[in-house]
Amino acid sequence: MGVIITPAMVGQVVISGLLAGALYSMVALGLALIFGVMRVINVAHGTILMLGAYTTFWWFQLLGINPYLSLLLSMPLMFLLGVFLQRSMVHRVVDAPELSSLLLTFGISIALVNVTQYAFSSDVRSVEFLTGSFLVGPLALSKSRLISFAFAVGLTLFAFWFLQKTKLGKAIRATSQSREVAMVCGVNVQRIHLYAFGMASALAAAGGSLVAVIVAIQPEMGQVYTFKSFLVIVLGGAGNYPGALLGGMLLGLVEQLSSLFLTTQVSEAVAYVLLVLVLLLRPTGLFGGRST
Amino acid sequence: MKRAFIAALGVLLVALALYPITATGYGIRFMLQLFMWVALAQSWNLISGLTGYVSFGHVAFFGTGAYATGILVATHGWHWMPASLMGGVAGAILALIIGYPCLRLKGPYFAISMLGLNEVMRVLVSYFEGLTGGGSGLSLPALHASVPIYYATGLAAVAVTATAFLIITSRFGLRLMTIREDEVAAEAMGIDTARYKLYAFLLSAFVPGVVGGLQARDQGYIEPMAVFPLLTTITMIVMALFGGKGTVWGPALGAVTLFVFQELVWARFLYLHQVLFGAIIIVVVLLMPRGILGILQQRYQLPRTI
Repeated sequence: MGVIITPAMVGQVVISGLLAGALYSMVALGLALIFGVMRVINVAHGTILMLGAYTTFWWFQLLGINPYLSLLLSMPLMFLLGVFLQRSMVHRVVDAPELSSLLLTFGISIALVNVTQYAFSSDVRSVEFLTGSFLVGPLALSKSRLISFAFAVGLTLFAFWFLQKTKLGKAIRATSQSREVAMVCGVNVQRIHLYAFGMASALAAAGGSLVAVIVAIQPEMGQVYTFKSFLVIVLGGAGNYPGALLGGMLLGLVEQLSSLFLTTQVSEAVAYVLLVLVLLLRPTGLFGGRST
Repeated sequence: MKRAFIAALGVLLVALALYPITATGYGIRFMLQLFMWVALAQSWNLISGLTGYVSFGHVAFFGTGAYATGILVATHGWHWMPASLMGGVAGAILALIIGYPCLRLKGPYFAISMLGLNEVMRVLVSYFEGLTGGGSGLSLPALHASVPIYYATGLAAVAVTATAFLIITSRFGLRLMTIREDEVAAEAMGIDTARYKLYAFLLSAFVPGVVGGLQARDQGYIEPMAVFPLLTTITMIVMALFGGKGTVWGPALGAVTLFVFQELVWARFLYLHQVLFGAIIIVVVLLMPRGILGILQQRYQLPRTI
């Protein structure tokens, strides 16, 4: 290799991995919710994230207020968009073969991306708010990434509390365990689907808002996040919500560690090779969970 | 009826064979692209239309074929005809490597793994710069061979359609469709599902490999982003679905209709054509999931093997 890898470098990489991983976990939790409750793979998940990022960009551009406060706008806005998409289209393919939902959500995604390009142009834009890093010993911690991490962890914990403790959350989990039994117990499954899609979109929007402060954004940024979320839910086990959390962290770590030894391009491929291996060797995810 | 259909088909083939005599350069190019889409939609249909396993990364075989051909032509000085056949072989080899393990995956997991395969291929092609030229692409020596490539692509489209006909009217096709309807039942009936799925997958990967090779030769330049786009996969799926997946003529019908529509109408909407494409996808999925031929089959007494 010829490159000397010091402990500080490894520490740096592990921390970067965890910081990125928390964000992946939160976004993927949304995808896992939709998949868990409806067995639908939402290809438009990253697109909704992109719309969240643009919400933050315009919030900061036009109002000049702290971009982190834009979560208060982007999350409800995308919640509503999610509910609208579910109500108008996605509910019709819930029981169809996977081809229908894959294509339908792709159609939605490409239309939304194109409208965004038309409205806001394809220019790369960025929110210049927090730059620089905290220096802790030999480690440099990017301020914006650290704050995103805190937000992502907070929102993910909140989502888990919600799923675990509230009546609606329990109904969502019941629906993803067995739709029929949930229905028999008096759960309005159609409504649960709406809430699940809405919540998932709000989580994606939060991801977008946080990403917008870290890196430059453009209308086609979403696809990468869609793919990464697929990876996370496969790693964690589809429909296994705590698994999505660990899967996200794992993806962050794998990406960062492999970028230490390999070029960035190849470290991307490592993640996909991992995906195929996990699908073959442990189709229920690394952390158990139920098979389909 | 049947005889009239065969006669019409013969006339069409003769007309297409004679077309280059009078055609303009644009006309040749248009038809060449049309043949390409017919072949791609048909090839996707062989695996996904018949067995129900959704190949959501089918363009991986197209890109692999394009690169195999490109490397043989540019670096080893091969003629494009054997080189594009080797492109098909490369596609089939990739299908063998990935299909053997991945065809065991069920439902959405197979689709996601195919999507992953496409990403891996794109990254690998970018990475091995010495062989592929990496991100800056691979240029093939200049050659004006639009007319021979027109015939070759047309032949590929005809061959894959004929293959689809032969498969769908055979016991092999029945086995594949049994897998689609109920794989457990198919296994219980003694069908070696793993083997037949793999055969269908190999056939369906060979064609995009060849077509990718022909495209590489025709374009004269390939680069990773251009030959592995998800959008190409989606387009071939929508074409097959629009015409009627799992039928012989559906994918061809869908490819012709959507491609002509695209050339005539979308070109006028420079900015919003992808919104239109998205809308078409949504309409096809929600309102006509069985496609044109599927709807006609339901309404009228049409042969199952249409």
